Amino acid sequence: MARMKFLCDDERCIECNACVTACKNEHEIPWGVNRRRVVTIDDGQPGEKSISVACMHCSDAPCAAVCPVDCFYTTDDGIVLHDKNLCIGCGYCLYACPFGAPQFPQDGLFGVRGKMDKCTFCAGGPEADNSPEEFEKYGRNRIAEGKLPLCAEMCSTKALLAGDGDIVAELFRERVIRREGANEGGRRQSGAPWGWNTAYRKS
Amino acid sequence: MHGTGKLLFAAAITLLAILFTDPLFAADADTWRQIRHGAEGYSAVQGRESGMLIQSTGQDWRLLRNGPIAVLGAWGLVLTLLALGGFFLLHGRIRLDAPRTGITVPRWSVYERILHWTTAILFLLLMCSGLLLLYGRETLLPLLGHGAFSSLAAAAKTAHNYSGPLFIVGLLLMLIAWLGDNIPTAVDRQWLKSLGGVTGDRHASAGRMNAGEKGWFWLLMLAGIAVSISGLILDFSNFGQPRSLLQISHVIHSVSALLLSAGALGHIYIGSIGTEGALEGMTTGRVDTTWAEQHHDLWYEQLGRREKKS
Amino acid sequence: MKLRKRQTAEAVPGSRHAATGQAIDRRTFLRNAGLAAGGAAVAASLPLTMMEKAAAETAGVGRQQVEKKLVRTVCTHCSVGCGIIAEVENGVWTGQEPAFDHPINLGAHCAKGASVREHGHGERRLKYPMRLVDGTWRRITWEQAIDAIGERLLALRKQSGPDSVYWLGSSKHNNEQAYLFRKFAAFWGSNNIDHQARICHSTTVAGVANTWGYGAMTNSFNDIHNARAILIIGGNPAEAHPVSMLHIFKAKERGAPLIVIDPRFTRTAAHADQHIALRPGTDVPLIWGMLWHIFENGWEDRDFIRQRVYGMEDIREEVARWTPERVEEVTGVPESQVHQAAKTMAENRPGTFIWCMGGTQHSTGSNNTRAYCIFQLALGNMGVAGGGTNIFRGHDNVQGATDLGPNAHTLPGYYGLSEGAWKHWAKVWDVDYQWLSQRFDQQRYANGSGTPKRTMNTSGIPVSRWIDGILEDADNIAQRDNLRAMVFWGHAPNSQTRAPEMKQAMEKLDLLVVIDPYPTVSAVLHERQNDTYLLPACTQFETHGSVTASNRSVQWRDQVIERLFESRPDHEILYLFARKFGFDDEMFKHIQVQNDRPVIEDITREFNRGAWTIGYTGQTPERLKKQQRNWHTFDTTTLQARGGPCDGEYFGLPWPCWGNAAMQHPGTPLLYDTGKPVAEGGLPFRARFGVQRDGVSLLADGSYTEGSDIRDGYPEFNAELLKQLGWWDELSAEEKRQAEGKNWKTDLSGGIQRVAIGHGCAPFGNAKARCVVWQFPDPVPVHREPIYSSRRDMVEKFPTYADRKSFYRLPTRFASIQNIDYNRDYPLTMTSGRLVEYEGGGAETRSNPWLAELQQEMFVEINPGDANDAGVRHGDMVWVEGPEGGRIKVQALVTERVSRGLVFMPFHFGGHYQGQDLRHRYPAGSAPYVLGESCNTVFTYGYDAVTAMQETKVSLCRLRKV
Repeated sequence: MARMKFLCDDERCIECNACVTACKNEHEIPWGVNRRRVVTIDDGQPGEKSISVACMHCSDAPCAAVCPVDCFYTTDDGIVLHDKNLCIGCGYCLYACPFGAPQFPQDGLFGVRGKMDKCTFCAGGPEADNSPEEFEKYGRNRIAEGKLPLCAEMCSTKALLAGDGDIVAELFRERVIRREGANEGGRRQSGAPWGWNTAYRKS
Repeated sequence: MHGTGKLLFAAAITLLAILFTDPLFAADADTWRQIRHGAEGYSAVQGRESGMLIQSTGQDWRLLRNGPIAVLGAWGLVLTLLALGGFFLLHGRIRLDAPRTGITVPRWSVYERILHWTTAILFLLLMCSGLLLLYGRETLLPLLGHGAFSSLAAAAKTAHNYSGPLFIVGLLLMLIAWLGDNIPTAVDRQWLKSLGGVTGDRHASAGRMNAGEKGWFWLLMLAGIAVSISGLILDFSNFGQPRSLLQISHVIHSVSALLLSAGALGHIYIGSIGTEGALEGMTTGRVDTTWAEQHHDLWYEQLGRREKKS
Repeated sequence: MKLRKRQTAEAVPGSRHAATGQAIDRRTFLRNAGLAAGGAAVAASLPLTMMEKAAAETAGVGRQQVEKKLVRTVCTHCSVGCGIIAEVENGVWTGQEPAFDHPINLGAHCAKGASVREHGHGERRLKYPMRLVDGTWRRITWEQAIDAIGERLLALRKQSGPDSVYWLGSSKHNNEQAYLFRKFAAFWGSNNIDHQARICHSTTVAGVANTWGYGAMTNSFNDIHNARAILIIGGNPAEAHPVSMLHIFKAKERGAPLIVIDPRFTRTAAHADQHIALRPGTDVPLIWGMLWHIFENGWEDRDFIRQRVYGMEDIREEVARWTPERVEEVTGVPESQVHQAAKTMAENRPGTFIWCMGGTQHSTGSNNTRAYCIFQLALGNMGVAGGGTNIFRGHDNVQGATDLGPNAHTLPGYYGLSEGAWKHWAKVWDVDYQWLSQRFDQQRYANGSGTPKRTMNTSGIPVSRWIDGILEDADNIAQRDNLRAMVFWGHAPNSQTRAPEMKQAMEKLDLLVVIDPYPTVSAVLHERQNDTYLLPACTQFETHGSVTASNRSVQWRDQVIERLFESRPDHEILYLFARKFGFDDEMFKHIQVQNDRPVIEDITREFNRGAWTIGYTGQTPERLKKQQRNWHTFDTTTLQARGGPCDGEYFGLPWPCWGNAAMQHPGTPLLYDTGKPVAEGGLPFRARFGVQRDGVSLLADGSYTEGSDIRDGYPEFNAELLKQLGWWDELSAEEKRQAEGKNWKTDLSGGIQRVAIGHGCAPFGNAKARCVVWQFPDPVPVHREPIYSSRRDMVEKFPTYADRKSFYRLPTRFASIQNIDYNRDYPLTMTSGRLVEYEGGGAETRSNPWLAELQQEMFVEINPGDANDAGVRHGDMVWVEGPEGGRIKVQALVTERVSRGLVFMPFHFGGHYQGQDLRHRYPAGSAPYVLGESCNTVFTYGYDAVTAMQETKVSLCRLRKV
């Protein structure tokens, strides 16, 4: 069974934010909610690196572990989804998530946050695939259409990869080997993709 | 909680593994260490901590909340109930030593009673809704099903978030109203030595508040302050609080709330079925002189003197 | 959470487009239709087919089937030319799918490309024609607008001549509209027409074309795969052309070192193997410094230079003066770095040389671009896969608009403005030359050189200078009167310098017309009360036509949606004005007009008939459409189709695509590649500058294209040459009739080109590239300090040009400004550039909420040292003040990205003016989501000595804490 994962290659990410707007586009995400973002560390200094980050669909999802109403579920493809009908907007998933993935439409007084929203790996939610109800709550369900997340599909430099973890990792490994071959004695490449140990280490 | 021990163990192993065997960690040591420890970068996406790639404290919070807090909290509450039950079985109700005289004296003013009951009801609401959010998933959810439980939890969350600030007001008013009665005195040591007369053979003297009540008062005030401040931070998170602050607040909030809950169970027991004649003071405002003499002799004497003067 | 509920556009009662013209988003659409998207989706071929195709949910009971189609179109933002697949359901643009099989972008997009579907919402669009009445915007009908504007223009024409009206065109028009726009101005009778190429790559076009013939990107984005080294100077493709980075990374990961030369540590520099931070405006010294090492070490390609380069000896002389010490003194770059870069480029050949506006937007821009070319010539990097000068153009169709459209200095196809050029086009248009000539002002004006000429034959006022066309004393302008009316037709004025004077100029105008999908800053900068009109134009997704990417590939862009609101496509508006002016019959003689709308394909065919110079003749609508349908058959490195209906053709038939369509020329993927026959896309350098100079031959020496019958250099072809060569009789009788007395550029039969190519020869001849451009102010590129320089010592040594009395019709100042020492009061050097989220003046992109959310605040990048000097902290508001009095209030972004003494600002913001928010001046509902100060309010005077390019990459400023 495929185990879906995201991978961001920091050697290629140029912070063009295509992943961010592709997501907005595909799911009609309102202003202020960003299921995906690009972070640049050491901005403007040597060693500057950019990384695109969203829900990583962790193996042992912290959000699911702390949700008081158990609204998360993991699909057969390893995609972590949630049920907005159940979500009470408590924010615990936000506290727990290492990646800052959970988003809330509001940030009101008395803890009024609205229903949590996050990256669905373009896999919608519990409603019927691509029903208007599903679209309204979670955006488009590309997985049901046999497609992959649009952010990765539209990545300008193919830095962001999405799909079966084994295949994605293999693609990345080949790329690393090619780069190391190309730049002998040059910059050494890290062995595991960014964030994978946090997201996918089996417990 | 199921498999909590396993979870804690696994988490510890994971942390160790991440710290020591992560190939990434070895490769780009500096950068990745910074990231793992929540170093902030730039992000075009505006929002709270949008520049932080990984927040490491989330995992700590999760482990604390789902582990020690939930587990110890549950044990604490269960043990408190067991202890009270055992005490009741062992000692039964603390009866009046002498028959009632039929003469009552005023103990709690109307204001004090309204204040007590309002705050008490708010407290119970907060306690129940809080416990529901902490334990409901393991206990009620399997019974009610996801849909009904979610509705209940949503109501609980709303009730909790709105009653919390009111409870804080109650708490403050209580502080003002009863601070003077709750200053510890030498008498309290004696009272404590005999555990309020339960163990000692000598009668335990007490003023308007006995040492037990004072202990509850101060627990209520100190844990109450902790629960209030942390609660306000959580309830009004619209000031850009970082997640780490929310996590710490949540830990403080749950620990102090669990302490208060345990304390409250004791308070309710002693104030109702545990002690004959105690509840009527808080309901009618007056207590029988027998009760007053037995439990609060110094206060009763003082009351008598004051009456004579007037 | 409920996803945001969008308001459908307000219904426009009484509008004939009310039913079809509303913007409907996908959500509303789905709700209204009560049906599901997906299900029937056409399966896209995934690059990572790692999952089983999920069984598509079949439509539920009661759900009706929708008409769902996939439209192939091209991104309208930058010139990379990314393919887009638009999902359209019942006329609503509901989805955007990656075009994985598009040879240029392989499905990839940047932030802008990934959000083009927002055009289907168009909430902040200008929705109907508006007129300013006593300071208030009032809605009017199209008929009223055309009538009122037309009457005013005719009156001005009568009073002040046709040159009193300025037609400011656009690189956002498609080829057909751009071409029609140029033709329109010709029929109106003026060369006062221009577009954004003037202020983006005009110095490239001039410098490069004068070096080897054509002023365009020589290779392609995809060909960068073959590069063994990559040098980017004054370019930040990670933000300006993100998808090009896909190709750059491919080369880099194959081992090509990446060198980035930029004063600023850009996002691109962050990925470079070597970053060189030069002092802004010192490109020539740096390139000469690199060449110094190349000559010193004998790394130059001697055979290449001997065979194909003229004047390298003169360059050697100049370069010899640029010793490492001197280079360091002027550029600030130490010898070790210069040497390393030169060595990298010498040892890794072929290397590609990429530049952008960091090189072009200087008063010495034409020197810079030529220095870059000479560098590549010295290394023999031209005409080979992996080499070349890969000039990344800006707007989506800036290349096409430059080739065919609104230019002040030339007719379509770079024919120039000579009588011969006019006669050629009059013939193509099938109009009487005399009649056309009568449309122009008949007087002659001294224009600074040679004999006084009619304005028909002199370059018009360039877009960079229209302000002066209004404000300058009429007696000093080489035309009858001042500019009195401006028509901004797809132009952002905030991309131009000197906003305070611009505001004054706008207020002085008799008439101001803005034709654009968005109101733009032109609608709000001034405080006009009347005589100001806004006309809503369609975006390119509401029409169709061809578009030329930076690599000269011409693509066919299909229409995605029907026009929104009351907007009309540009070619329709042109027709309406032509009809109002009474020359519609002449202008549209061979272009069918249906329901007021000229047929796009007829326009394509018309320029196919006329643009022989640059081979825009083979790209017929039919061939382009066929390529678009088969874009998956093209190789992603060579861009050549392998098999299929387009077998052997290059993607987009990159110009020159010689001869007429019957010749089936495949296009020219790499310019000046002698390794291929001309018929298959090979070319030598163009013989454009004569056959000899001072007794030295300018023709190629022993170099010729594969399969050429002439195995040496040769001049450009004409009827005479064909006869001398004995090839004349290979023409048909009809061809002979048309070709008699003509040359390869003017023979409308295409016979001369056909015969020349039949013999393996390039129609434009076979010459050497020249390093010395004797017509330019600096025949050999030399260093000159920017007009506003922070280095007075350098100004002494490397002064700019003398002032000129008439340059592009206007007095132009150089030395008289540079001589004033502004540096004491304005100690910081100021430069500008792009952000990935926005494009150009930003009216369009700042109106797209998906983009605008990402950049909400105009900022200035300041080095921590300078920030401390000014007492400014990160996040503070700060006044940036320029030496000409402009000042802007912006947020300080303190960063080491810029070096000490340098500040940087993006140029996409607008809608604030010197601290004042102009939001209230926009027509209701049409202000962009994000407004901000335009950096060009502070940027200053200064123009390139060849093309009048504005100098926006170097000026001076100071900071003042708010």
